[in-house]
Formats: sequence, C-alpha cells, structure tokens
Amino acid sequence: MAEHPYGLIARFNTPGDLYHAAEKVRDAGYKNWDCLTPMPIHGLDTAMGVKRSIVPRFSLTGGITGFCTGMSMIWWMNAYDYKIIVGGKPLFSPLFAFPVSYELTILFTAFATIGGMFFLNGLTQLYHPVLKYDKIHRATDDSFFIVIETSDPRFNADNTRALLAEAGGLEIAELEA
Amino acid sequence: MSNPEVTSTHSAGAPASNKALTIGLAGIAVTLLGLVLSPVHIVATSWLVGIAYWCAIAIGFLLLTLIHHIFDAQWSTVLRRQFEHALSAFKWLALLFLPLLLITWFGAKDTIWPWMNPAHLLEGEGKTVANDMVYAKKSAFLNLNAFTIFSVLFFVVWIWISSRLRKASFTQDKDGNASWTKMNRMTAGFGIPLVALTLTFAAVYWLKSLEYHWFSTMYGVWYFANCMRGAYSCTILIMVWLYNRGDFKGILHSDHWHSVGKMMFAFTVFWGYISFSQYFLIWNANVPEETFWYNLREYGDWWGIGMVLVFGHFLLPFLLLLSYSRKVNKAPIRRIALWILGVIFIDMCWNILPAVKDAAGNPLPFFSLGLLWALTSTIGIGGICVWSYLKSFPTTKLIPIHDPRITESLTFHE
Repeated sequence: MAEHPYGLIARFNTPGDLYHAAEKVRDAGYKNWDCLTPMPIHGLDTAMGVKRSIVPRFSLTGGITGFCTGMSMIWWMNAYDYKIIVGGKPLFSPLFAFPVSYELTILFTAFATIGGMFFLNGLTQLYHPVLKYDKIHRATDDSFFIVIETSDPRFNADNTRALLAEAGGLEIAELEA
Repeated sequence: MSNPEVTSTHSAGAPASNKALTIGLAGIAVTLLGLVLSPVHIVATSWLVGIAYWCAIAIGFLLLTLIHHIFDAQWSTVLRRQFEHALSAFKWLALLFLPLLLITWFGAKDTIWPWMNPAHLLEGEGKTVANDMVYAKKSAFLNLNAFTIFSVLFFVVWIWISSRLRKASFTQDKDGNASWTKMNRMTAGFGIPLVALTLTFAAVYWLKSLEYHWFSTMYGVWYFANCMRGAYSCTILIMVWLYNRGDFKGILHSDHWHSVGKMMFAFTVFWGYISFSQYFLIWNANVPEETFWYNLREYGDWWGIGMVLVFGHFLLPFLLLLSYSRKVNKAPIRRIALWILGVIFIDMCWNILPAVKDAAGNPLPFFSLGLLWALTSTIGIGGICVWSYLKSFPTTKLIPIHDPRITESLTFHE
C-alpha cells in the first residue's frame, strides 16, 4: 500500500467490457481518469465523454498569424524599408504577396497544430505512475485498463474501488505515485 | 416484408417528380418566351449557362462515382447509389444541348460562338474572323465540324460510362455478385482519364472559345473545380432530404457528414487556389492577349460580380467550413451547400455572359435581361435533371446492399 497513491487501476478482458465500464465511470462524473488499450477503439472517446480536441484553435491562430506575417513582411520589405519596383508592378499589392502569405499560413498552421498538440497532451513524458504497475505491459498486448486518479474531486478510495468492481474491473489495484 | 431502412419502397413520390418536371418545362418555356423580348444570341448564350451549370454537376457526380470505385472506398458506399441516380440526367442534358448545335448549323453561325462565322466582325477590332491571325492558327481545332463531332463525343462518353456504372451497380443489388464491383473498378480505371479529358475539352469548346483569343491552361481545371463543388453540394441536399424523410436515419452518422463536408472544404480551397493562380499569372505577365479577358470582366457591374466570386465563392465557404459543427449539423451544411450552388451559377455567368458584347465591344451588364434568361434556363434544365433523378430513384434500393464494402460503410468511423 502506497502512502499517497496515484490512483486506482482496473483490468478488463475485452474492448466491450472496457467500453461499458468507461461509460459508467463517465456517468459517475469522474474527470481525471483514462483508458489504456493496446489498439484504438472506435467510439471510446464518446464512451469516455471526451470532447473534441481544441487543437484546431491553435491551428487557426497559427494560420492567421502566418497570413498576416506574409502580407506585412512583403509590404515592409518592398514598399517601406527598401522601396523597389519589380516588373512595373505597384510597390505593394496583396496579389504578389499572396503566394508567400498562404505558404506561411500553411507553415504556421502546421507548427501551431503540432505544438498545440504536444502542449495539450503533455508529451513527451519520461515517467508516468502506471509504468510502475507490474501488469502494465499487458496494456500493449491483450488487456484493457482504466486508471482513475486520486486527484479527481470525486475520488474516494472505497467508492471508486466499488464503482470499478461494479463496472466489471478485474484485479483492481492501487498505483504508487 | 422489406426492411424500411434499406429500401426506398415509399417512393420519392410521383408528386415530387411531377413538380420537378413542371418546374423544368416552365423554366424552358419562359426561356423560349425570352426570344420575343431579347435577341436570339442573348437567349442562346444564357441557355449555355444553364447547360454548363448542370453538366458540371452531372460530371461531378460521374467523377464522384468513378473516384469511389478506383479507391475501393468504404465511406461513400451508402451515398453512391444517389450519385448513380443523378447520372441518369446525362441523356436529357444531351437533348437539351441539341438546340445549341441546331442554332449554329441552321441559324446564324455566330449566334453563340463568334469564330463559327468567318464573316463575323470582331467587335472593336475592325476585322473579321477570317482575317484574324489568331483564328487562323487555331482553326484546326476551332471549326464547326470538329465542334459538333466533339460535342456529340462528350455526351456519348458520359452516357456510356454512366450506363456501365449504373447497370453494374443495379444488377449487383439483384444477384449479389462481387464481380460487378470489379467491373466498376475497371470502368473507373479508364473512365477517370476519359472524363477528365472530355470535361476539359467541353469547357474549352463550349465556354472558353466564346473568347477564342484568350489563353489559359487553367480553364479545364476551373470547370472541374465547379463540377466537384456542385456535386458535393447536391450530395448534401440529397442527404438532408433523405435523412429528414427518414430513409437515411440509422444509416448516416456524423462521420459521413463530416467526410462530405471535408471534401466541400477541400474543393473550396482548390477552386480558390486555381482561380487565383489563373488570375495571378495573367496579372503578373501582363500580356494584352491574356489580360483582355479579365479587363472585360472588370467592366461595369462585372467588377462587383468578380468580387462576389472572390469573397463569396472562396472566402465565405472557406471560413464557414473550417468549423466541425457546421460540417456535421444538417441545417448549417445545407445552407452552405445552397450558397455554393448559387455562387457556382454566378461563376458560370461571370465566365460566359461577358462574351455577349455591344457594338463598342464592351460586355452587356450582369444585371440585364441575359441574366434573367440564364436564371430561367438554369431552373428549367435543373428541373429536368432533378426529375430524371427522381424518376430513377424509386427503381432501386436506397443503398447498394450487396456491395462488398456496404458493412464497412454503414459502420464507418473516421
């Protein structure tokens, strides 16, 4: 028994068991918990009550920044800092600034998307408490796990264990922090 | 006892198809009445707008079906039957194209396409087509015989490929033989290049040659972009209609809507990309042989219509379709689809109608009688196309129930 456990872990034999257990945990109102599975399970995010990712907000911000950067860069370089006439065109026109602007839109969108994803999912993590659990290797093989963290406001050692047992969880164990 | 979820036993309803036919015939009748009010070349060019508009949508559906088969796609299997019903419109489009050929053969040769008449006086240039060097160089391609043969060929190709796809798919419903799917994949293999070539040449012959002095290698691609956007928008309207009626309940779920929405988004960007490229290269090179085409389209109220295209055909749908919820919820995606279908009409007008010029060589304004006949033509031809779809609709099952991919499509998950 750890003094300050990280949470409770329960094992499930099939994706179906895990799916229905996840629905029960979701309906019980838990927030800080997760499922560990050897492969993606379609619809599990709905069963867990996970909302759509907010990564697109980062993408949009990146895209707008990229577009404005492109436009202002071309304007600043060609029409302000070092005025130069190319091919009899105006010193600045959004038309010739457009190719550069949309390239930067795409580039900054990609950076913001990748960066936003890593920011939100907390990767890369060198250590996680579940790694200490001696059966965790089965999460990459033939077993499905639910972890409920003690940091969850609804966490209660007895009630949470009872919920996992009722949901069909096997070998419920405490995780060392 | 048939399962109401997978059959269309309660037919689209004779009233619906009758209504479409009535609207179609009324639109055509009003367009014919236009001959009393407007010169024949204005009405005929407006008729070309309607033909170009609905051919684009039908070609789009043809491409959607072919692309579905070449990729052996899963998700679109439940929608493919509706594409196939839409393909029934090609034979009617061929019939409705016929008046344009007849006018040029038996009426004034330059009613629509000026280069068909060597004696045609080029507005504002003081010379005839026969004395025009640009025409002489292009005359091997631009002559009435080649135009007629190619136009017939386009429709033959489209009708032939469509009937192969429809026959294979509809027969599979009855005998459940997977070899029909293989046959359709073969059809897709040779069909995609054939349709790509025919739609490009059709756009060049029917639309671009209205101003035959012009050069643009983007033109076929521009037409293709509208084909795809039109077909996807119509797909959304069909999905909403069949979902609200109950047919598609339990069949379509958010991932199907999201997929179509993403394709609409992709082709919105595609249209913006190639339209901008066409404009930008011509603007940058600044060669009079090319810029005149855009100058005509900045004359009078056409400039504002061009702005409607920039912001309404690209920017607005682009921004709206960025959102996930607007792609998967029926009310907003339906409004976006209707909007896109409306702007494609304006795009067709913008490309075609400025070819009708006054004596000084300036295009007639957008807001003139020509627009009215373009509208009535588009409504009329559209009514016939929708009628053709609705006639085909009750003849088969709602979805291809024996398609090898049907289960994967029903349980499709992104």
